[in-house]
Amino acid sequence: MLLNKIFPYLLVFFLLSCSDNKIHQEEDFIFGTIISIKVYGEPKIKSEKVSNEIFNEFHRLHKLLHPWKKSLITDINNKILNNESISLNNDEIISILKEAQYLEKKTQGLFNPAIGKLIELWGFHKDDYNLDTMPNQVKIKNLLLSKPSMQSLTIKNKILKSNNRDVQIDLGGFAKGYALDQAKKILLDNNIKNALINIGGNIIAFGKHGDRDWIVGIQNPRKPNTIATINLKSGWSIGTSGDYQRYIIINNQRYSHLINPKIGYPENKTQSATILIPPSKNSGTLSDVLSKPLFIAKEKDKIKLANSLNIDNFLIIMENGSILISESMNKDINWEDGIDKKNIKIY
Amino acid sequence: MVLIKKILKFTKLVKSGDWVIIILFSFLMLISAKILWDLPQGQYLEIYKNNEILGTYSLNHKITKTIKGIKGETEININNGKARFSKAPCTKKYCIHQGWINKANQTIVCIPNQVSIYIVGAKKKYDSINY
Repeated sequence: MLLNKIFPYLLVFFLLSCSDNKIHQEEDFIFGTIISIKVYGEPKIKSEKVSNEIFNEFHRLHKLLHPWKKSLITDINNKILNNESISLNNDEIISILKEAQYLEKKTQGLFNPAIGKLIELWGFHKDDYNLDTMPNQVKIKNLLLSKPSMQSLTIKNKILKSNNRDVQIDLGGFAKGYALDQAKKILLDNNIKNALINIGGNIIAFGKHGDRDWIVGIQNPRKPNTIATINLKSGWSIGTSGDYQRYIIINNQRYSHLINPKIGYPENKTQSATILIPPSKNSGTLSDVLSKPLFIAKEKDKIKLANSLNIDNFLIIMENGSILISESMNKDINWEDGIDKKNIKIY
Repeated sequence: MVLIKKILKFTKLVKSGDWVIIILFSFLMLISAKILWDLPQGQYLEIYKNNEILGTYSLNHKITKTIKGIKGETEININNGKARFSKAPCTKKYCIHQGWINKANQTIVCIPNQVSIYIVGAKKKYDSINY
């Protein structure tokens, strides 16, 4: 009889001791990329619940911000095309657009989410982008002349108006970072202390992996392995802009999705720009947005730009393989074997 | 029939305390089996002589290594992901009878000749990747 009583407890005890309950990973495919959520030191049920809550939030943002499938953004873009004003009953989109305006100004227009038309010309407004002939030069030139910019938008009393019909909003360089900041809120609300969230390479860390920091590998732009690893301290985010994930090849020439808004062409002297952003309310957004201007700027301007944007931790790989790294990031980075130290310049 | 009778007789002999032990140990067996089953596959083989590492070899090829121990020559096979002792100068040949090992942290020790092999898993250096 005693046995009957204790048996269920024994069973539960053994089943619990069976599972590795330290780390739980959930994955989903949103924003056209892989999302991975790792939660450390929480029961499986709880980490599943929180991960699902985060995935649902990402699906909501995907539908809200999608640049070419029907979304609130495409609705706004259609109104801009027709020169109509738009009434926005959505405080979130207003604050997103205002932040995008602010960041465009701050990056001297190198981050420009108003160039949806240019991105479409280059064929990247498709799930399976595969443009194989150069886009129309005249159209590119005309778009540059009309200077689409977020500063063309005015929002007053929740009414949005654009004085430039060539403005088409594309938050592709903003949405994933913003999603990281939203995920941060969900983790806090659910009292999750240790987690690592990766949205297509853009990562934010919370707490630790047990008694050590979370460790992130940085992809080698030209080889199927990592170039280095770095400890991502609690609250920090890492973001990379690279020419190796989304690109097209026309006449044996690589054209990345990172189009220089000033010249209308993809930047082709840089392989990747990686930045680390310290904890702040919008650190996820910044890690996504601020790697773009650093990627696009000319080599001689990159360091000055990083300083003016207060980016203390950057790692830039140029087309010829030379590496520009900030002093602060160089202290913390662990290079993989086989990296030629002669190619590394420390700033 | 005889077997069933024997089992019935056996169950009458077993007291509740015995059942606790039987069930407890069955569980232990199941769990150890599960843990051993779930061990990750190894990537490298480390060969030790007298507690000193002689070398680390990838498990992903087919080679034979001959090691001179204190009693004589020990031969170790690596064969596409697994490893074993194939020749040893010891009398009992326990090391050879262990057969192939392939999981991370598995080890075979030949005490008389003081040669041991140890399987190492691939070290995953990061939790997530930035790209």
